[in-house]
Amino acid sequence: MHNDPTTHNDPTTHNDPTTHNDPTTPTTPATDAAATAATGTAGTATPTTAPHPEPAGDRRLDRRKFLTLAGGLGAAGLLAGTLGPHAWDVVFGGARDPRGSLGPAAGRRLVLVTLYGGNDGLNTVVPYENPAYAPSRGPLALDASTVLPLDEGYGLHPALTGFKKLWEQKRLAIVQGVGFADPNYSHFESMDIWQSGVPGSAASTGWIGRWLDGMGSSPLRAVGIGPTTPVVLQGDKVQGASLPPGPIRLPGDATEQSLYAGLAGTTRKEALLLADSARSGADLLTVDRRLGPILDRTATADPLHLAGSGTGGAASSEAAGALAIANGGGGLSTPGVLATQLSIVANLILARSPTQVYSVELGGFDTHTDQAATQQTLLAELDAGVTAFVDSLSDDPAGQDTVVLVYTEFGRRVTGNASAGSDHGWANVVFVAGHGVTGGWYGDPPSLSKLSDGNLVFTTDFRSVYATLFAEVLGVDPVPFLDGRFRTIPFV
Amino acid sequence: MADDIQTTHLVRRAGFGATAQEAAAAAAQGYSATVEQLVGGLGQPDDGADAITPPAFGAPLAYYTSLRQARRSGDTAATKSIERQLRAEFGTLTDWWLARMVATTNPLREKLTFLLHGHFPTAISKVRIPSFMYGQNQIFRSQGAGAFDALTLAVATDPAMLIWLDAGSDKAADPNENFARELMERFTMGIGTYHEADVRAAAYAFTGWRVDLATAGFTIDERNHSPVVQHVLGTPVNTGQQVIDLVTHSAASARYVPAAFWSHLAYPVSPSDPVVTDLSGAYAADLNVTNLLRAIFQHPLFTSSAATTGLVKQPVEYVVGSLRALGVPASEVSVAGRKLVGTLAAMGQVLFDPPSVGGWSQNSYWLSTAAALARWTFAHDLAAKADLSPVADASPASRIDAVAALLSVPQWSPATATALTKASGDPALITTLALVSPEYVTN
Repeated sequence: MHNDPTTHNDPTTHNDPTTHNDPTTPTTPATDAAATAATGTAGTATPTTAPHPEPAGDRRLDRRKFLTLAGGLGAAGLLAGTLGPHAWDVVFGGARDPRGSLGPAAGRRLVLVTLYGGNDGLNTVVPYENPAYAPSRGPLALDASTVLPLDEGYGLHPALTGFKKLWEQKRLAIVQGVGFADPNYSHFESMDIWQSGVPGSAASTGWIGRWLDGMGSSPLRAVGIGPTTPVVLQGDKVQGASLPPGPIRLPGDATEQSLYAGLAGTTRKEALLLADSARSGADLLTVDRRLGPILDRTATADPLHLAGSGTGGAASSEAAGALAIANGGGGLSTPGVLATQLSIVANLILARSPTQVYSVELGGFDTHTDQAATQQTLLAELDAGVTAFVDSLSDDPAGQDTVVLVYTEFGRRVTGNASAGSDHGWANVVFVAGHGVTGGWYGDPPSLSKLSDGNLVFTTDFRSVYATLFAEVLGVDPVPFLDGRFRTIPFV
Repeated sequence: MADDIQTTHLVRRAGFGATAQEAAAAAAQGYSATVEQLVGGLGQPDDGADAITPPAFGAPLAYYTSLRQARRSGDTAATKSIERQLRAEFGTLTDWWLARMVATTNPLREKLTFLLHGHFPTAISKVRIPSFMYGQNQIFRSQGAGAFDALTLAVATDPAMLIWLDAGSDKAADPNENFARELMERFTMGIGTYHEADVRAAAYAFTGWRVDLATAGFTIDERNHSPVVQHVLGTPVNTGQQVIDLVTHSAASARYVPAAFWSHLAYPVSPSDPVVTDLSGAYAADLNVTNLLRAIFQHPLFTSSAATTGLVKQPVEYVVGSLRALGVPASEVSVAGRKLVGTLAAMGQVLFDPPSVGGWSQNSYWLSTAAALARWTFAHDLAAKADLSPVADASPASRIDAVAALLSVPQWSPATATALTKASGDPALITTLALVSPEYVTN
């Protein structure tokens, strides 16, 4: 049904026989039957709570939404003195998980946008004209009249107005049915697989981390925004740098900084963690020396025009403080936390940082309850951030050479649960956006009628996406960094 | 390894670093006696920490009712006022726990509380009511050293966990899988030791579990509890308590839980690691956490070089341990509480707000450039503020040893020693550098 038959004929994996397995093989085929049987005998359930306009994720909270009550509380409440947290969410507002010696870069620049929690792809890129869509999703189904139509019977979630414009500009590629064999529903294993690029193993390095190892020793080649470094940027020998929000201010005077360099800069034989700790100090000094001037110079720059948008901005100390807390550890986030991260990235790109790969993140997508409002809020944030980011790079050659990848650890179960939410699922959509992107459809859409254990089955191996990014964006042979050779996809 | 180095390592890991006094006392009484003293403290009061005034909280039901009223009437000012109260409660709660850790005279009990927070990660970002987080924290403190099955049940039926993993919104015929999955995957058994069908069956057993707001307690809504007998791990069950009994007593859990404790206290291992075999038999007999801790501390590998260099201090351990070592009193902590929270956030760890139900990762996760900057900034400010007489009173030539004793670092590498020697004329500078040295960050 898609326009270009060459892009979505088959699973894109080649060479590695283990990746050729029939992706329709269910892992636990008996489960749904058992569930269905149980359902049939259960009594009629009376919800103690009203429909929940505000959802809950299980990561972090948007503090500006903290205690925000959406309308429609209705009968929710203190029925018989008993209250489910579901009603709790109604009153207190939905939790979200906000989470966010190099010469000139040889290839283009890559920005990884990681959505934590498992975004519901089927309500992100919506097959609204597919007769199986509304019945199979039940109450979760989006009203066809609200979907932003693309073509071929698909539309975008109503929050993705900017993505719709990118689509019309041919700057948005949508890869459908992306995943891997034998998915297991675990947030942590699934995200480890996505970030390591190695299914079914406890790889300790990221797919970008292995590339860092192969490219030399600079921590500047890949940079994350936030206090901790995600697995994707961790190599054996090199770890991508992480940046605090705002300028870097080293403590102490020149003497202290010089002695710190002596502490940090020495190669050691004692123990691995000692060496890693020393390296992080040495890397900090490298970051300060090379990126510090850029961060200083751009401290008040606002390439995404966040000031006045109500979302803070890189120049806003409030947003910077929120970002410090939002990433990695805390939940004290504000709307615009993703845009704030992307604003820092835009500044670095426009100032010709030697960095080739950037990592930003947004959490809160684990919508077991009250999915509609949570996803609306989070996708609006994704949409605003990515769209403003792409726009900010329009007039700049390095900006135009920047490609954005948006991914999450898994899709969600096709049929929703009784909590107006959805449980963990399998295959999902991936977005690739940017000026140099060849917009359009890629990958076969998973069948809505041939589910496996209630889940969408993958048709495109996720490593095909990575192979493409290695080959076409970073300008390297993907094979050394991926376990096998994977067909590239012509989205860039 | 010299005896006193072993005892210092034990004290450091069983608490929040080792002050010079703690290290000396432990060395004097010997390793086994120190283990017994630490483990014996698990059932005892904590004179230091208990002197910290517990926070006061509004009633959850009152918050719920007044907020609902404010929202319904569109009273934005009232809504914001309640929001401010809850934020203030959260700040007080965090300050209180940090102050306890700094002041503790019974460090293993407070360390176990922190360890269990990481094992059952639950976040204010979703729970929203600070008193519920406080309630869970007190469960870890009061029941953490007992049997792990009872502890798991207590945590599972407490409001914080019920809210965190979406109890309360399911129906008998339509369960929510979140709690059942994380119970097996993260809390008790570990991925790969059960089938997806077990998760889905167990989810039915937990249907109808609810928070009772009036009592801030637990109740089962029988109308929404599935009466259907399910098979979990091959055993018929109908109640959530039966599921918790099953999973905590499973063979997989007998390896998973000891591996988790060992990973927090010695060095990261998988449940299949041989050292876990040495721990799991005794643990499986009664699931007693006190005995498990004793077995970990008495295991020969606990004092191996793999263990002594096997962990990076988590940010909370780093900050609290540094305050203890430099004798910055607990009262200072509550004064500077806000700032400490900001410091911890810049390092990536906010108490009561782990990033996900996976909790915080370990080791290289904490060795980012941003965290290095946050550690250095904290160390610089702390050294400027603390009474450094133990270092300043030593002669410049012996200050490198004095600062090692102050921070309980057994040995400096040549590179660190060179830097510290150059700084020996300035007590604040040598202390700052010692606090950010790889030897102190990593132990």
